[in-house]
Amino acid sequence: MTGVVGRSVESITAALRAVFTAEQVAATDGFLQRRDPRVTLVAVAGLALAVMITRTLAVTVGFAGLTLALAWLSAVPLRRLLARAAVVPLVSALIVLPQAVLLPGEVVASVFGLAITDAGVAYVVLFTLRVGVGVALLSLIVLTTPFSAVVAALRQLRVPVALVWVIAITYRYLFLFFDELQRLILARNSRTKGEATLRGGWRDGRRVAGTFLLRTLDRGERVGRGMRARGGARPPSPYRRSRSVDAGDYALLVVAAVAVVGSGVIRWGL
Amino acid sequence: MEPVINAHGLTHEYPDGTTAISEVSLTISEGERVAVVGANGSGKTTLQLALGGLIEPTAGSVDYFGETTDAEAVRERLGVLLQDPDDYLFNTTVREDIEYGPAQLGQSRETAARRVEALADDLGLNGLLDRPPFRLSGGEKQRAAVASVLAFDPDVLLLDEPFGAVDATYRERIQRRIVDHDGAVVLFTPSLDLVPAIADRVILVGQNGTIAADGAVREVVTDRSLLAEQGLRPPPTVRLFEGIAPDDEVPLTIAAARQSLLNGEF
Ligand SMILES: Nc1ncnc2c1ncn2[C@@H]1O[C@H](COP(=O)(O)OP(=O)(O)OP(=O)(O)O)[C@@H](O)[C@H]1O
Ligand SMILES: [Mg+2]
Repeated sequence: MTGVVGRSVESITAALRAVFTAEQVAATDGFLQRRDPRVTLVAVAGLALAVMITRTLAVTVGFAGLTLALAWLSAVPLRRLLARAAVVPLVSALIVLPQAVLLPGEVVASVFGLAITDAGVAYVVLFTLRVGVGVALLSLIVLTTPFSAVVAALRQLRVPVALVWVIAITYRYLFLFFDELQRLILARNSRTKGEATLRGGWRDGRRVAGTFLLRTLDRGERVGRGMRARGGARPPSPYRRSRSVDAGDYALLVVAAVAVVGSGVIRWGL
Repeated sequence: MEPVINAHGLTHEYPDGTTAISEVSLTISEGERVAVVGANGSGKTTLQLALGGLIEPTAGSVDYFGETTDAEAVRERLGVLLQDPDDYLFNTTVREDIEYGPAQLGQSRETAARRVEALADDLGLNGLLDRPPFRLSGGEKQRAAVASVLAFDPDVLLLDEPFGAVDATYRERIQRRIVDHDGAVVLFTPSLDLVPAIADRVILVGQNGTIAADGAVREVVTDRSLLAEQGLRPPPTVRLFEGIAPDDEVPLTIAAARQSLLNGEF
């Protein structure tokens, strides 16, 4: 698959794949990497939850600042974090976009006869920013903690086994998905030549999409066997990486608690 | 010898109607090293998956260690290595993948750590432990997969073509690990070339997924018409000494052949 469609599909999958690969950062040294995985999980997931309930731009920006600070302390490349955090909010922005028109308020602009209101714009911006910060926080966990340690921490925190199972499998299949897509594109590229027309590219793209679905299902089944061969039919039970909780752990918990309580107070009052 | 795997009348038909194996019955005993050999598409992988309890055969059953017919109940004793390392390595780093089996199958973290270290040394994985498996080369993936199955020290190894893309150095290391394994080993491979150096019994899978022969290595690898019928060819030394040494004396490995040449035997 060559041409415009092929190239863009290729670069999108390459980007997505990079976004979902985290291991190198998890292996480097930094603030979050040195935390007990349970503490990272509770504190950072707490922050993500708190940002989702805020309704104020200033508070959301505050959370964004906290996220960036944590990323900086943990030597997480900002570009990697932003790339990871941008995909979901861009999609969700598309979904809430109509609100820019639907919410009553002062008209700031008019596009194709639709009146865009100031309240509407504020809503869309706040919503997108909140989702973005939330996703960035969750990404920080996976970027700084080996995935098996995250799973082990979930088990230790007595998260229901069924839920841990779903999280573990979903994460693994995300990898698989992008892996399979990239492999398929590589296979096609190696056997097509020249610049295809846009229309040819689309035709090709549709065919690839069909094959992709079948191949992913098939690959999923085979990886399922690979898991079962090594005890995957039993509840996830990776080795714990926790140790005694230290001052840094307490500091993170306190910062997270203050932020969560503070944003709750701002939202609902005392 | 205690049977570790006992299969009766295994038949497997894929949903599209392909009958991959048909009426296979076999017994693997403790400490045995068996090679299951057959042409491409003869049904080796299907047989391995059925023996390993990873597909539900259309008919027949498998008995493990004379105890149970449920593979999940004895998972920690069965080392099933899939043919494609991409199906086998699904964790985010090589280390997590090697630790996955021991952790899931209830081995202590210390035991696992010791084994991971030894395997990484032996199979040249030290620099790769923190890398994601899908970014490794083909041979590296295969070595990581072999390490992952050896990591939980299963009693029976069911290995589907573990050497494919591996270079000579590591092929020898893997070979040594298989030969030194002190449980049963079943090696599934489309070529007889390495079989005499590893196995003492050969099971030939015929074109239609039935067992075409089952016997001692020498007996099977010198039966040229049988092999030709199955689309296989004898190991290199057997071809080399054709018409020079009688079948019951022909050296089966390169080392044995060299020795007999030095001794001026033929
Ligand atoms: N998922 C499937 N669906 C349908 N047919 C299949 C499937 N997997 C394998 N087959 C068919 O079943 C037969 C046996 O396949 P199998 O993979 O067991 O062969 P094999 O002996 O392992 O071959 P190879 O040496 O190439 O690995 C083949 O004819 C193959 O085309
Ligand atoms: Mg096969």
